[in-house]
Amino acid sequence: MSQNINRYRCDLRDLQFLLFEQFGLQEILGKGKHADWGQEEVNMVLSEVYKWVCDVTGPINESADRVGCKFENGEVKTPAGFKEAWKSLYEAGWRGLGVDEKYGGQGGPSTLALTANEMMSGANTAFNMYPGLTQGAAEVIEHFGTDEQKKTFCKNLYTGVWSGTMCLTEPHAGSDVGAATTKAVKLDDGRYKIEGTKIFISCGQHDITDNIIHMVLARTPGAAAGTKGLSLFIVPRESVDGSGYNNVVCASIEHKMGINASSTCVLNFGEGGDCIGELVGTVEGVGMKQMFLLMNFARIGVGTQGLGVAAAAYQSALEYAKERLQGPHMKNFKNPEAPKVPIIEHADVRRMLLEMKGRTEGIRALVVKLGMHADKVDILEDGDQKTYEKGQLDLLVPLVKAYGSDQAYEVATTAIQVYGGAGYLQDHPVEQHCRDAKIFSIYEGTNHIQALDLVGRQLGQRGGANFQAFLKDIGAFVAKNSENETLGKHVKELGQAAQSLGATAMRFLGWFQGGKAQLVPLSANIFLKMMSTTAISWLLLEQAIIAEGKLAELAEHDSDRAFYEGKRYSAIHYAGLELGQVLNNAKYLGEENQAPMEISTASF
Amino acid sequence: MKILVPVKRVPDPELKANIKDGKLDLSGAQWVVNTFDEYAVEAALRLTENADEGSRDGEVVVVTIGPDDAAVQLRSCLAMGADRAIHVASEDANLDSLLVAKTLKAVYDEEKPDMVLLGKQAVDGDTNQVGQMLAALLNLPQATFAASIELADDGKACVVSREVDAGVEFKKLPLPAVVTVDLRIVSPTSITNGITPESHEYADGPRYASLKGIMKAKKKPMDNKTMADLGVSGSPVVKELEVTLPEARAAGQIVESVEELVKKLSEEAKAL
Ligand SMILES: Cc1cc2nc3c(=O)[nH]c(=O)nc-3n(C[C@H](O)[C@H](O)[C@H](O)COP(=O)(O)OP(=O)(O)OC[C@H]3O[C@@H](n4cnc5c(N)ncnc54)[C@H](O)[C@@H]3O)c2cc1C
Repeated sequence: MSQNINRYRCDLRDLQFLLFEQFGLQEILGKGKHADWGQEEVNMVLSEVYKWVCDVTGPINESADRVGCKFENGEVKTPAGFKEAWKSLYEAGWRGLGVDEKYGGQGGPSTLALTANEMMSGANTAFNMYPGLTQGAAEVIEHFGTDEQKKTFCKNLYTGVWSGTMCLTEPHAGSDVGAATTKAVKLDDGRYKIEGTKIFISCGQHDITDNIIHMVLARTPGAAAGTKGLSLFIVPRESVDGSGYNNVVCASIEHKMGINASSTCVLNFGEGGDCIGELVGTVEGVGMKQMFLLMNFARIGVGTQGLGVAAAAYQSALEYAKERLQGPHMKNFKNPEAPKVPIIEHADVRRMLLEMKGRTEGIRALVVKLGMHADKVDILEDGDQKTYEKGQLDLLVPLVKAYGSDQAYEVATTAIQVYGGAGYLQDHPVEQHCRDAKIFSIYEGTNHIQALDLVGRQLGQRGGANFQAFLKDIGAFVAKNSENETLGKHVKELGQAAQSLGATAMRFLGWFQGGKAQLVPLSANIFLKMMSTTAISWLLLEQAIIAEGKLAELAEHDSDRAFYEGKRYSAIHYAGLELGQVLNNAKYLGEENQAPMEISTASF
Repeated sequence: MKILVPVKRVPDPELKANIKDGKLDLSGAQWVVNTFDEYAVEAALRLTENADEGSRDGEVVVVTIGPDDAAVQLRSCLAMGADRAIHVASEDANLDSLLVAKTLKAVYDEEKPDMVLLGKQAVDGDTNQVGQMLAALLNLPQATFAASIELADDGKACVVSREVDAGVEFKKLPLPAVVTVDLRIVSPTSITNGITPESHEYADGPRYASLKGIMKAKKKPMDNKTMADLGVSGSPVVKELEVTLPEARAAGQIVESVEELVKKLSEEAKAL
C-alpha cells in the first residue's frame, strides 16, 4: 500500500529567473490587460501554486498510479482524492490564471499560467489532464462558438462545474485524423445526431464532474473526404437542456503503461439512443481548423507536461544522489577502508545530473519563451511586431511538444540510472515518472507528426520569414557575445549551428522541388531535434551571460551565487554536448542517406 | 467581532537547517508563515464569516513584527482572506518573546479587538510563550492549545476546548480574551460562530490563498509602524549563545534474543 506523501519538488528560483531576469515578464505587467498584475502577485501565485500541489495533488500521485481508474457497468471510478482535489483546484482558482474575467478568471499572463502548469503536471500529471482538457474545450468554444454556446459552456467549463474532452481518434484514424468516420446528421432543429466510435479518449468518462462536454470531430453526410470534410461538435454526456442522458456510452477503458489515473476511454456516441450534438459556430467543414486551436493548446500542454515530469525526476534524482552512500571517492579508490561517499561525488553521476539539469532548464526556457510570444500576440496591436511574435510562437509549438516530450522520457530514464537498482523499484518515484512520460511523445500527434508540421508547414510560413527571424535573433545574440571570455567559444559554435540549420532548411526546399521529397519525412525528426537543441543552447547561453553579470555584482558569500554558477554550467555542458551534434547531423543529412528507404521490407 | 492575529515568519520547516559558526545560517532560507499562526488565521476567518454564503461578518487584522521582507507573509494572510495588516518593523535578532508580547500589547491597545488569536508556538524557536505573556500583560483571560472554539450567541464569550492528558477540557472565557491554537483547530467542525450553519463542513486544514484572494490582497490596507511609534523600547532579555545540531545517533544493533538484549542493556549500556 503506497502512502500519501508528496515527493514533488520544484525549482521556484529558476521559474523566477526565467520570468523576471531572462524574459522580462515585468514589462507587460501593471498595464493594459494585466493592469492588476505586478511582480508581487506573480511571485505569490508561484509560491501558492507550489504549496497547493505539494499539499493536494502531489501526495496522491503515487497512490493514484497504483490503483488506477476502475471501470464498472459503464462508469469510471477515479482514484481516491481526485474529486476532492478537483474541488480544491477550482476553489483556489489556479485554472483561471490566464482566463478572461468574464468567465471567472483573472486575466493573467499565459506565461504565468504555463509555469503554474509545469508544477501541476509535475506533481501529478495524470490528475492534471482532467482540468487541462477541460480548459482546452472551453478555449475552442470561447474562440469559435456562437454567443449562445459561449454563455452555456464557457463559464461552467472554466470554473470546473463541468469537464471537457477532445475526441479525434478512431480505430482507423489515429495519426490520419482525416480518416475519421463518425457521422453527424443535421436535424430539423439545427442540431446534429452524432453516431460513431472514438477510442483513446482521455478523461472521456469519470466520476469527478456531473457532466462531461465532449468536443467531437465528425463528418456530415456528403462532406468531402479527409480532414476538409470534418466538423467539430459539442456533445455533452448529459444534455444541457435538462432532457437527460445523451447516449454517450463508455464501452471500456485501457490498461496502460503510465498515466494510470487518467481514464483512456472507448466512447460510443449514439449507442442505445439518439446522441445530440451542436456544431461549434455556424459553418460546417471547418472542424479541423477549429480543432487546431485546441490541438495547439494541447501540444503546448503536452510539452509542459514533459517539462513538469522531467523536472520532478531531476529533483528526485538530485536528492537521492546527495544521500546514497556508495564506494569511496575516486582519489581513494584503492583503499577499502576509505569512507564511503554520497554518489553525487562520483564523476559519472555528476555527468548525468548536469545533463538532466541542462535539459530540464532548457525545455523550461523554451516553454517560457513560447509563453512570452503568446502573451505579446495577445496584447499587441496588429502590425509587424505582432506578426513576428505570432510567427515565433507557431515555430516553437512543435519544438516544445516534441523535444519537450522526448527529453522528458530521456531525463526520467536517466533519473532511474542515477538511483541504480532502487530507481527501478516502486519504492521511489522515478519509475513512475518514466512510465508516465512515455505517452507524451505519442498523443496530441506523434512526435513525427510534429516534425512534419515543422518542416512541412512552419518553416515555409510567410515565405520562410518566421524561420529567418528566428535565425536572425540567434545571429544578433552571437554577434553581441562571441567575444565573451568564458562562453565565447560556445557562442561561436552556436553561430555555426544556426548557419547549418539554415542551410539544412534550404536543402529541404531543394528536396521538395527536386523530386527527392521522400528525404523530407526521413529527415524531419532529426531536423526538429537540431532546431530544438540550437534554440536551447542559445537560451541557456543567454542565461549564462545574465548569470555572469549577476555574479560580478553579488557578494562572495551570497547564497544566490550557487544558483548563478549552476546556470553557467548548465549552458556550458548542454551547448558543449549538443551544438557539435547539430553540425554532425547537418552533415549527415547532407549526405542524403536513404538506407531506411532502400532496404526492402523483407530485409528487415 | 474583531480578531487580532499575530503571525510570525519562520524558515520553511521542511527544509534542512544550516548551521554556520554556531549560528543558524538563514541566508538561503525560504520564509513561510509559522504553521500554527496560519491555523490561527484560518480559525479567525472561520469565526468571522458565513461559510455557506461566502460572506464576511467581522474583521481579521493580522500583525507581524519583523523585517521588511516579512510583508510577503502578511500578504499571504491577506490573500487567505484577512482584512487588514499591520507591519511593525524590527530585526529578528532584536526580539525575544517578552518584547514581542509588549509590542503586541501596544497594538492591542490601539486596535481594541474582541479576541487575540495566535499559534501556540512558532515552529522555529518553539518557545511557546508569547500568548501567555500577552495575556498577563493585558490582564485578560487566556486559553492555550485550543482545539475548538464556540462563540456564545451574544458574542460576549467563547467556549474553548483544549486537549489535555486526561481528556478534553472546556473553558468558558469572557471576551476579550487571548486564545492560542493547536493543530486540531483546523479540523472540519472545530469552529462554531452562530453564523455559518452547523451543517457546513470545512476542508481539513487551513484554506489556500486563492487566485482571487491574491489579486485582492494588494488592495487591502497594510499599516507600517515602528516599535517606537508604539512606545515600545528595550532590548531582549534572552540571548542566544550558540546553536548546534543534536549529536548524530549511533547505529543500532540487531540482537538475536531477549536474553542478549537484557545482557547488553545491563552490561554495555548500563541502563538496567
Ligand atoms: C493514453 C492515451 C491517451 C490519448 N488521448 C487521446 C485523446 O484524448 N483524444 C484523442 O483524440 N486521441 C487520444 N489518443 C490517441 C493518440 O492521439 C493517438 O494514439 C496518436 O495520435 C497516434 O495514433 P495511433 O495510435 O493510431 O498510431 P498510428 O497513427 O497508427 O501511428 C503508429 C506509428 O506510425 C507513425 N505514422 C503514422 N502515420 C504516419 C505517416 N503518415 N507518416 C509517417 N509516420 C506515420 C506514427 O508516427 C507512429 O510512430 C490517446 C492515446 C493514448 C495512448
